[in-house]
Amino acid sequence: MRRALVVVLAALAPAALAFTEAQTRAIAAHGPWPPAFAPDPSNRVSGQRDAIELGERLFFERRLSANGTVSCSRCHVPERNWTDGEPRALGLARVDRNTPGLKNARLQRWFGWDGANDSLWAQSIRPLLDAREMGLGAAQVAALVRGDADLSCRYRKVFGAVPEEDEAVLVGVGKALAAFQESLVSGRTPFDELRDALVRGDAAGVSRYPEPAKRGLQIFIGKGRCHVCHLGPAFTNGEFHDTGIPFFIDKGRVDPGRHAGIQKLRASQFNLLGRYNDDLGRATAIGTRHVTLEHRNFGEFRTPSLRNLALTAPYMHNGRLATLRDVVEHYSTISPDRLHADGEAILRPLQLSVQESRDLVAFLETLSDGGGRYERRLLSADCR
Amino acid sequence: MAKRRAAVRAQALSLLLALPVAQACELPGGSAEKLRSATHTIVYRAAPALRVGEHFALELAVCPATKELRVDAWMPAHRHGMNYRPSITALGGGRFRAEGLLFHMPGRWELVFELRADGKTERVAHAVSVE
Repeated sequence: MRRALVVVLAALAPAALAFTEAQTRAIAAHGPWPPAFAPDPSNRVSGQRDAIELGERLFFERRLSANGTVSCSRCHVPERNWTDGEPRALGLARVDRNTPGLKNARLQRWFGWDGANDSLWAQSIRPLLDAREMGLGAAQVAALVRGDADLSCRYRKVFGAVPEEDEAVLVGVGKALAAFQESLVSGRTPFDELRDALVRGDAAGVSRYPEPAKRGLQIFIGKGRCHVCHLGPAFTNGEFHDTGIPFFIDKGRVDPGRHAGIQKLRASQFNLLGRYNDDLGRATAIGTRHVTLEHRNFGEFRTPSLRNLALTAPYMHNGRLATLRDVVEHYSTISPDRLHADGEAILRPLQLSVQESRDLVAFLETLSDGGGRYERRLLSADCR
Repeated sequence: MAKRRAAVRAQALSLLLALPVAQACELPGGSAEKLRSATHTIVYRAAPALRVGEHFALELAVCPATKELRVDAWMPAHRHGMNYRPSITALGGGRFRAEGLLFHMPGRWELVFELRADGKTERVAHAVSVE
């Protein structure tokens, strides 16, 4: 009898659909998830199985570093949601920024905290050449590919031939690494179940979403206005903002963020305006062709995706904030004095109560798929 | 996808008086926004349809025809513009194509059209809301 009453009450409870029409529309905009795969036109091997296999092998290859000890997976640790848990990454030496996770990287418009690259394959080349990360040159990467029978064979299977030009071999390595990373997509989350239930008008489904997270979601799309920058299914607008995080590194060094990122992008022979873009029509280069450099870009960093956020601590471009509670506290108490005087006027202290902060954290935690163990692919038999 | 498109509603509010248009000024194929300055009519259409966070282009017709046109956009409430500077291609006969625009936030934006003709410059602003 008591159980039946509970069922009836649940069925009748309008509170279960405790979102207005406008809120429902805002929530629906964060899905559906996962998005369908679309190959990257700038990378002719995007989505190809052999390229993904080669890319995975290269990703875990320690010989792709100057001293033979650092692979991509040193900082992008699969079991840590493809990041490392460090405030600032450690390759051959300590670098200036936090390691971003790799899941859903293929959905980005710009890559790196400063957006210095406009494709996943160009971004994959960057750490290979950085003296503090893997410390190689194009010649050394090409020599490894040419000198290893299995790598060389797999490279030929993917690209048809190993080019004579070292830099072209390097680009192929970047494109294979990108093909592998494109396959890393985060799974469904409690938020996605809520979102789809709301779209279906499924009150029972909505009621299964925890109440604190529901209140936190209302803050996210309401007084917090978090969704102004963290928008869409990936919870990011893909652009750059000054969020009041100090950009001093150490010993008087500063991180100019997007300001230097745009200049690096323009100077890079690997950008989408260059000869290595496989999209001959250059439609993929529209952002690179039109991006502007402004003074306000100094100290701006890319808006990160919030998917699997709970698995990627610490936070912000320099890992300065240890926990999600710290992040919420930052936005709750942010001082406008710490933002660019000539920059955008978006952020203001949210002045959240203790309960509101907890609720917002509870919501953010529902954006994670729980992580899980990564199983490497079994490579097809010896390449011939 | 269709639902999402429907959710992104572009509501255009002319900042200028809706005066009768003195001459036909049209873009072939489908509906378009029509604006008036003191001396010109501007007709424009977004292609693809305006969606927050995605690059789009504008097809434009200016009557009487001008040779120079600039297009920009900003978000008055947030005090920032776009992160991209559109490129303008003059197609002749007062037709233009502006490429490379991107609204990176939801909310109220203002498209700003700057016409140059006979040594004079005119600016026409048009408010557009994207969700």
